[in-house]
Amino acid sequence: MSIIVIKELTKDYGDHKGIFNLSFSVKEGEVFGYLGPNGAGKTTTIRHLMGFLTPDKGTSSILGMDCRTHSAEIMKQLGYLPGEIAFFDGMTGMEFLKFMGEMRELKDTTYRDKLIEQFQLDTSGRIRKMSKGMKQKLGIVSAFMHNPRVLILDEPTSGLDPLMQKTFAELILAEKAKGKTILMSSHSFDEIERTCDRVGIIRRGDLVAAEDIHILKEQRRKTYLVTFDATSSAEEFAKLKCFDDITVNGQRAKVSILGNVSSFVHALSNFTVLDLDTENSSLEDIFMQYYGDSQETSKSL
Amino acid sequence: MFSKSLLKATIKQNYIVFLIILAVMMMYITIIAGMYDPSIQDTLDEMLKMMPKELMSAMGFTSFGNTLLEFISSYFYGFLILLLPMIYTIVVANRSIASHVDRGSMACLLSTPNTRMKIARTQAFFLLVSITLLIGFLTLAGVGMSVILFPGELDIPGFLLLNLGALILYYALTGLGFFASCLFNDTKNSLAIGAGLPVAFLVLQMLSNVGDKTDFLKYFTLYTLFDPEKIVQGEGYILSFIVLFLVALVTYSGGLYVFNKRDLPL
Repeated sequence: MSIIVIKELTKDYGDHKGIFNLSFSVKEGEVFGYLGPNGAGKTTTIRHLMGFLTPDKGTSSILGMDCRTHSAEIMKQLGYLPGEIAFFDGMTGMEFLKFMGEMRELKDTTYRDKLIEQFQLDTSGRIRKMSKGMKQKLGIVSAFMHNPRVLILDEPTSGLDPLMQKTFAELILAEKAKGKTILMSSHSFDEIERTCDRVGIIRRGDLVAAEDIHILKEQRRKTYLVTFDATSSAEEFAKLKCFDDITVNGQRAKVSILGNVSSFVHALSNFTVLDLDTENSSLEDIFMQYYGDSQETSKSL
Repeated sequence: MFSKSLLKATIKQNYIVFLIILAVMMMYITIIAGMYDPSIQDTLDEMLKMMPKELMSAMGFTSFGNTLLEFISSYFYGFLILLLPMIYTIVVANRSIASHVDRGSMACLLSTPNTRMKIARTQAFFLLVSITLLIGFLTLAGVGMSVILFPGELDIPGFLLLNLGALILYYALTGLGFFASCLFNDTKNSLAIGAGLPVAFLVLQMLSNVGDKTDFLKYFTLYTLFDPEKIVQGEGYILSFIVLFLVALVTYSGGLYVFNKRDLPL
């Protein structure tokens, strides 16, 4: 059963900004990663789901209810983490959580307190004085504390240190185990990779792919930086056919491989390798890799 | 109908500015009522004639009158009543919706199971109730002071009517502020209308009082509809009251309507 359904959603802000004919759905119990560079339309999509915007065309619905007309009803079962969090400045962290709890008519605060502890959130300080990471944690607690069925998270880990990012990934996995449906946007592939089942990639307001994370991982080209003991061995290695692409620069070779790396590792064992390093492919690389052509054409348009 | 928790938060956010404005108004009304002395009214009128006439009439002082009601009415209800609660309404109307949208805290409010209508209704309710309390306390203070200092001197029904007029005027003004607050995404624009309009009204009102040449300006300010002299004399104010009430009705319901319909950049 699909919990979040977006059908031919269009919101044209002019100048190719906005979203165009966007359609996808998120099934019950699924964690959907929503990827795209800044300004691609991630937040615009989420604003529609939250009922902040009226679409030019198309519809969006959550739990079978229209997002624009039944938003208050939907919110009973939804947790939301905004991309840019703004609270009531004068309140302390705890006052804010209590206020949001009252607005939701939340009685049971055990889960809230557990989350506060899990994220080591100091709730006594005034929100105005909090660091970005602390505000982000406060937003996370506020989004999860009422144990909603559906979660919409806009760039949830921005501002969090690596340790807290890990805690957050654990939280997502725990919520997934409870059968929650989660849509989270991000511009970092690694963050999505850790937690999501399926990934949708949006570019210029258009969904270019919605794929299973395993398929995406397999298709992902990885780049390795190998330093050999001598220039000659690097050149010799370049003659082998265990990779898709190679560029040699003295002792160092930059090797890119699609999918399985076992033949690459096997070939390497015959050489003296001084250093082996991987180069993380950024989201732009993934775009170039999968949609390089279409990106070029749309640029030239 | 209303969100109790939001109302509580809004009260907490605004009670200080409410108390400050109330304290200043209390201070003025107390001093002014205390200054009344029937035996020196003629002397005061003489003094008034010695002052630059234009300046005095810009402030709404044309005569100090003969009764306590006329005295308070010309001293307080000519100018101060237009200025002091206005400051309160400008601040609070802008805070009611626009500043939440501008800062983004509206996203938090709307991510709870409360409709936009309910949130806006709660904020409008607070505006209306708090301005009623502000004018109400002022009325009580005015009556109280007069009864203590000059028992039997004050025409209480007349004074109540005067305050009712001021209250309806402020329903209309907060309505304008609320409408602007609902309409715009930025505090900047909301204030341009919500504060700019009342201030412009006040300046036009002062200018139109100065002389015949500028008299036509009274057609461009809402304050013309609140004429203390006419109310004190007890004639020709009913139509003004009705018009102000209609302005309030249209602006408040218009504000609710546009906020419910429009796109929010949250």
